[in-house]
Amino acid sequence: MRILLIEDDPVLGMAVRDQIVAGGHSVDWMKRLDEATDGIHAAVYDLVLLDLMLPDGRGLDFLKALRAAGDVTPVIILTARDQISDRIAGLNAGADDYLVKPFDLFELSARIGAVGRRYSGNPNPLVTAGDIEVDLAARSVRRSGKSIQLTAREWALFEAFVQRPNVLLSKAQLEERLYSFDAQIESNTIEVYIARLRKKLGADAIKTVRGMGYRLGTPGSRG
Amino acid sequence: MTLLRGFARSSLRRRLGGGLAAGMAVLWLAASTVAGLVLRREVAEVFDSALQEVAQRVLPLAYAEVLARDTDGATQRMAPVGPHREYITYVVRDVQGRELLQSSDADPLRIPRDLPPGFHTTDRLRTYTEAAVQGTIIVTTAEELTHRRAAVMRAVAALIWPLAALVPIALLGVWAAVRLSLKPVVVFRRAIETRGRGNLMPIATEGLPDEIAPVATSVNALIGRLRGTLEAERSFTANSAHELRTPIAAALAQTQRLIAELPDDPRCERARSIETALRRLSRLSEKLLQLAKAEGGGLLAETPAPLGPVLRHVIEDLDRQTACGDALDVSIPPDGGPPSDLDPDAFAVLARNLIENAIKHGDPHRPSTVRLTDGLFEVSNHGGIVPADQLMRLTRPFERGRTTAEGSGLGLAIAAAICRGAGLSLELTSPIPGEVDGFRATVHLGSGSAESDTSTRR
Repeated sequence: MRILLIEDDPVLGMAVRDQIVAGGHSVDWMKRLDEATDGIHAAVYDLVLLDLMLPDGRGLDFLKALRAAGDVTPVIILTARDQISDRIAGLNAGADDYLVKPFDLFELSARIGAVGRRYSGNPNPLVTAGDIEVDLAARSVRRSGKSIQLTAREWALFEAFVQRPNVLLSKAQLEERLYSFDAQIESNTIEVYIARLRKKLGADAIKTVRGMGYRLGTPGSRG
Repeated sequence: MTLLRGFARSSLRRRLGGGLAAGMAVLWLAASTVAGLVLRREVAEVFDSALQEVAQRVLPLAYAEVLARDTDGATQRMAPVGPHREYITYVVRDVQGRELLQSSDADPLRIPRDLPPGFHTTDRLRTYTEAAVQGTIIVTTAEELTHRRAAVMRAVAALIWPLAALVPIALLGVWAAVRLSLKPVVVFRRAIETRGRGNLMPIATEGLPDEIAPVATSVNALIGRLRGTLEAERSFTANSAHELRTPIAAALAQTQRLIAELPDDPRCERARSIETALRRLSRLSEKLLQLAKAEGGGLLAETPAPLGPVLRHVIEDLDRQTACGDALDVSIPPDGGPPSDLDPDAFAVLARNLIENAIKHGDPHRPSTVRLTDGLFEVSNHGGIVPADQLMRLTRPFERGRTTAEGSGLGLAIAAAICRGAGLSLELTSPIPGEVDGFRATVHLGSGSAESDTSTRR
């Protein structure tokens, strides 16, 4: 998933960013609302992690403006305001979840996974594609009962296919997934990673739709 | 006297009505008395003048009559012209006191002889005596004093009697006028009476009379200051929470990243110890902030609302954090229960602390019960009995009883402080009534008084 993190505290922001990256997602970290507003208009995010008290305004106003503009990107609020009324106000403003500081980083990862799955249309973390079994919560992949290890970038791409099994993903959409891994995206980066995934999971794990993009295959199935 | 004071104090309308009616009656009576005195003097003057005039008119007539008489010594009585009551009578006597002539009703009065000339008053008569012909003919006119008194009394009575009708009419008029005048005050009073205890919105001052408007303005200014103080306090608590939680969150998150990145060696173990200490610090700071808020005020909501939805949020949140869903037997009315003026945030803190307390100290193999009913919030857990002497102390900060379970020792102190601040009653019972063990905390939500108490039962 490509995640937008809006957090002004540098120490906390750094730890959250590292946790997200370690979880196989890409992340853009913004410390101000004006930067975040520019960022969300410039790129497509799968999830926003939003602090409520920022130097240039209230996160709640940013969220309301986002929803008013018809943007349905899932939002998890990260805040030090623990009052139930703040929580209700956040959820009423269109947040998908609410995490009170100080929080456990592993709980944050679990919430990110849950919200991502909910928005992919499949809240069940266990996904089967042919003889491939994927546990999105545990981030594990098995083919024919055999465990397969994926790198963070490979997982980031493969997760995009698993979350939307029947959806055709363009090369540009897949590039978005890798955009924040602090590495240069070359013109053939996606092809390289698709090749690596096919090597690990089987040639039929990902299908190419010529001139349009890629979609998840059904490896091991007949026809 | 006390009754009278109580009556006067009880209602401004009654005090005004009664006072005005009594004052009017006293003034009327005083005016009638003065009028009676003036009337008596005037009546005396008029009647004296009449006595004198009758004597002076009768004297020449009597003289002519006496000279023209054929016989001596016989008293001549003047026959009345028609039936009437004679108020002024007269008698004509010679120098020896023999009666020569008298009016028809003169006999019964027994006008005394040898009266000095001029006006004279006896115990029953007012007389006027005039002599002529070198004192050989003496005319005395007389009038009964009772007649004069009766005339004055009748006049005074005619002045006083209307008062009997006037007092009730005046009372009614005063009552209606006062009621009409005080209507804005009554509306103002009702506006204060009917608002919730936590409602700090300004009171409407439109239509209030000049005498009351400054009071309402002052009350609104006071409410505004109270509101400002409470908001500042809330804001301070919220900002303190933010300022304290963010660095703790940063330290905890960095420590967790460190644990994830370190190999499994003594350095990792040390990092885990830091993580444990940070978690403890986080819990303690949270509880201390809750206690500060509970003891600071602002525990009442401006608009009463059902507490059921808040309780559902609290349980959902607790379940997500501690997976306690199976350990709780929850009962919440489908409509959320009756509206309460307890602040939703304060209730959330209260409920969370009582439920956490039950989960922490209760029997882990038996579910704790959370029940919200009409005017009652109850959290019960099975487990050991808390002795009565310890039960009393459990609401003190950092009092942990005999438990070995990990905790801050502030949960029940926070719950008690919220109940105290919101005017609610918290009852701690051990064992649970009807059971052989356990502990129950009951919050009586419906008391609504300014006083509150924490009671214990064993």
